[in-house]
Amino acid sequence: MDLSFQEKSLWLLFVSLVGAFGFYFGTALPGDAIDVMPHQVALFVLAVVMLVITQIAGHAVIAILDRRTDTDERDRLIALKGTRNAAYVLATGVFTALCAALVTDGNFIFMHVLLGSWVLAQLTEIGSQLVLYRRGA
Amino acid sequence: MGKAGGLITNDIRLLRLRHAQMTQQELADRVGVTRQTVNAIESNKYSPSLEVAFRIARVFALPLEQVFHYSED
Repeated sequence: MDLSFQEKSLWLLFVSLVGAFGFYFGTALPGDAIDVMPHQVALFVLAVVMLVITQIAGHAVIAILDRRTDTDERDRLIALKGTRNAAYVLATGVFTALCAALVTDGNFIFMHVLLGSWVLAQLTEIGSQLVLYRRGA
Repeated sequence: MGKAGGLITNDIRLLRLRHAQMTQQELADRVGVTRQTVNAIESNKYSPSLEVAFRIARVFALPLEQVFHYSED
């Protein structure tokens, strides 16, 4: 498959997001805590550090392999469409998190619905862009 | 692909071949877009902006309507 720099970068982000937050949610959930505990905050920080390290190392490798990193109007259009799709998911997630906050005790469920929605929105944005790149725009 | 049912097609592939077998990358560099975008335009999967369309036509020294064609259906 002939992938541009942007597509490789998106695949890297997609895989590292799934890896880092798959690890976090797989470890932190299911939880019976009412509030977010310090060890879950530590897990979250670890997931973010994993994500950042993977991104830096991965992008360094991609930039070495593919020196054409320039973007054009089609890249910008695809990015805008991806952001639009992600906004729907994030808005739905925020609303769901607010509803969860009203009917549950503590902040554990609220925080995780909110974080899950953000991750899902990011995956939607990246996934949409990958599909659009394959379809043309 | 055009909006509202219309279809924008082009002769870029043919024109490239007639212009000393110009590659997609060479055309992309001259127009200021990526090679993947040239490929998407040639395959009628992406309709470029008017500005990019004019720049493509200018590379081949042709009027816009001899490079791009629009049909209603």
